[in-house]
Amino acid sequence: MPIQYYIALASALFCIGVVGVLTRRNAIIIFMCIELMLNAVNLLLVAFSKMPFNIAETGASNASAGADAQLFVFFIMVVAAAEVSVGLAIIVMMYRNVHSVDINFLNRLKN
Amino acid sequence: MICSIIVRNKGSFRHIAAFGLLILLIANILETYGKDFFHVNTMQLLQFDRFGFLFNSIALGATLIYVLLTGKEIEKSGKYAAEYFTLIFFVLCGIFILSAYDNLLMLFLGIEIMSIPLYILTGSDKRNLKSNEAALKYFLMGAFSTGLMLMGIALMYGGTGTFQLEVQRISVGMYKGVSFLEITGLLFLMVAMAFKVSAAPFHFWTPDVYDGAPAVFTSFMATIVKAAAFVAFIKLCDVRMTATLGAIDWKLLFALIIVFTLLIGNITAVFQQSVKRMLAYSSIAQAGFMLFALFNVNDVAKEGLLLYTAAYSLATIGIFAILVKMKDYTFEGYNGLAKTQPVLAATNTVFLLSLAGIPLTAGFFAKYYMLAAVVKTGSYIWLVVVGVLFAAVSVYYYFRVIQAMYFRNGNAATETITFSFKTGLIILAAIIILIGILPQVLLNWFYF
Amino acid sequence: MTASEIIFWFLSVLALFSAIMVLISRNPVHSVLWLIVVFFAISGHYILLNAQFLAIVNLIVYAGAIMVLFLFVIMLMNLNTETEPQRNTWLKVIGVISGGLLLTVMVSAARSAGELSNKTALIGAGDIGLIQNLGKVLFNQYVVPFEITSVLFLSAMVGAVVIGKKD
Repeated sequence: MPIQYYIALASALFCIGVVGVLTRRNAIIIFMCIELMLNAVNLLLVAFSKMPFNIAETGASNASAGADAQLFVFFIMVVAAAEVSVGLAIIVMMYRNVHSVDINFLNRLKN
Repeated sequence: MICSIIVRNKGSFRHIAAFGLLILLIANILETYGKDFFHVNTMQLLQFDRFGFLFNSIALGATLIYVLLTGKEIEKSGKYAAEYFTLIFFVLCGIFILSAYDNLLMLFLGIEIMSIPLYILTGSDKRNLKSNEAALKYFLMGAFSTGLMLMGIALMYGGTGTFQLEVQRISVGMYKGVSFLEITGLLFLMVAMAFKVSAAPFHFWTPDVYDGAPAVFTSFMATIVKAAAFVAFIKLCDVRMTATLGAIDWKLLFALIIVFTLLIGNITAVFQQSVKRMLAYSSIAQAGFMLFALFNVNDVAKEGLLLYTAAYSLATIGIFAILVKMKDYTFEGYNGLAKTQPVLAATNTVFLLSLAGIPLTAGFFAKYYMLAAVVKTGSYIWLVVVGVLFAAVSVYYYFRVIQAMYFRNGNAATETITFSFKTGLIILAAIIILIGILPQVLLNWFYF
Repeated sequence: MTASEIIFWFLSVLALFSAIMVLISRNPVHSVLWLIVVFFAISGHYILLNAQFLAIVNLIVYAGAIMVLFLFVIMLMNLNTETEPQRNTWLKVIGVISGGLLLTVMVSAARSAGELSNKTALIGAGDIGLIQNLGKVLFNQYVVPFEITSVLFLSAMVGAVVIGKKD
């Protein structure tokens, strides 16, 4: 599969995530769109890890070339899990006080 | 060095925390001068150099002062004082990683370790709606910028095939010339870092978050954490940017960012009514000055950034320490402080003067070094002029506070001020003036 | 068209379609379910690229744990009614336009990049994605970040408890 297809697919998913962050108002959905962005990145990294130029480039032994990208994906997942736990805790905390997850409530800070 | 990474301190009281910080500080300074406590093979993921060590020392020292001055407030700010101290230590751990990363993976992990505890500290005042909203906003913005940063890293990997900061271009089958993927990736990464340091087009979260967070934690966020993000940024610029973008005139882009940051930070700060919010905007303006270091990375710029970090952190920590003692955060709340609390007013004046960059304080030399780094390039002199102009603007709003303290009548209500708190403030002010009069003391030490 | 190409196109279309559905469905629960479909499609891509370990971890961590957490929170807040008020339309249009511009820039940059011509991602070949090889690299070269993530988890845990606890 040409790598451009993967770049295009990942960019499309990423941009859908960005549009979601920009247009939705529900904090949880915004958060989900951020997860979507992270997944697009993961897909792109895995695709890059299988690109043959890697094998010639890094000079590492063939067996492990590209493994760093896949491990990066692994670390992204780890961090995403930690982030989700904190983020949902914050959202729940806010919900307890305002009974809404609408981010337009945030505008109260302005004045 | 790993000793500073492993966070062994679960300081349940601020004394333990301060003690732990002191130990870390001593260990760090010793290691700067070549004493190895541990030797851990970090596999080219982390690389500890002089600059990183010096920055760590400053960060630790500033945190130590911060804990000593405002430790009581942290204990007061909620039921979970022990957890707050722990979280501050986690943030420090992230900062150490950021000052030493040599691999984009470590950059990512360091930023995350630094920001996740901060989200929580921002929202630690659970009953307060403002604090909640600040936490949510900070979190969403932080996660979004993390997404952008990861996209940048992924694209850069696609362009070069490695996560190492320094790319060996022994390209075997690689495309010769400018790598589109790498440049796009770098742009994403730059945007994400601009988010983190709150540079101009991406600054909008800063005032709200700094305003909404409990004042004790704002002071930590606005000083040490911000400086750490700058250190990460400067490392990125130093190694990767100049190598990749050598052919492209990216300096103009940086110049525009600097001008915008200074403009927005300074002009909006003038119109604020609350001192806390004014400080938030002024921290954007100060970030504009720190960006000068990124403009042309050389030794002067690095020294300057260290000096700026020290001067700015000390002054801001002092101001916030006084701020949390005030009952009313508006300018009116400061009216007549000089009569009721002369020591507080006097030290506050020193801190404000330092932030404004008046000679004889540390801030003057910090700003001077930043501008000198740009002058060294020979071009872009207009940028220096703009910097000086905005420094003049900033004097105006810092003096509003001084004016309120000395020349307005009123009785500023404060909480009870202990003697040790006053002593701490006086020592802090003395340090700032000392650096201002004899900057060589610090600079000789910085020399690397 | 070989079988793997057909699978590739099918999974891509599925991922994009469900991603858009995440965006436009009004009910948060539906969004979560569509997002899970996206994750399954992406896992399919991983398997196609012979990254089995990541495919499984993706399913377990994302679809299994994270999304359940999301669902749990949504149920807890009783958000499954269509409560979300609409943002004004021109903001939406601007959001879509800026996202579209970003996409155009990225795709055209990728298309015009000479470095990428004739580069392919190998499908169904190589064994770096196997758990044995990844494990070896992880615990040799990447053991430091692996340990450091434990600090991250600790801080996230402390934080979630501090924030989530009722006082």
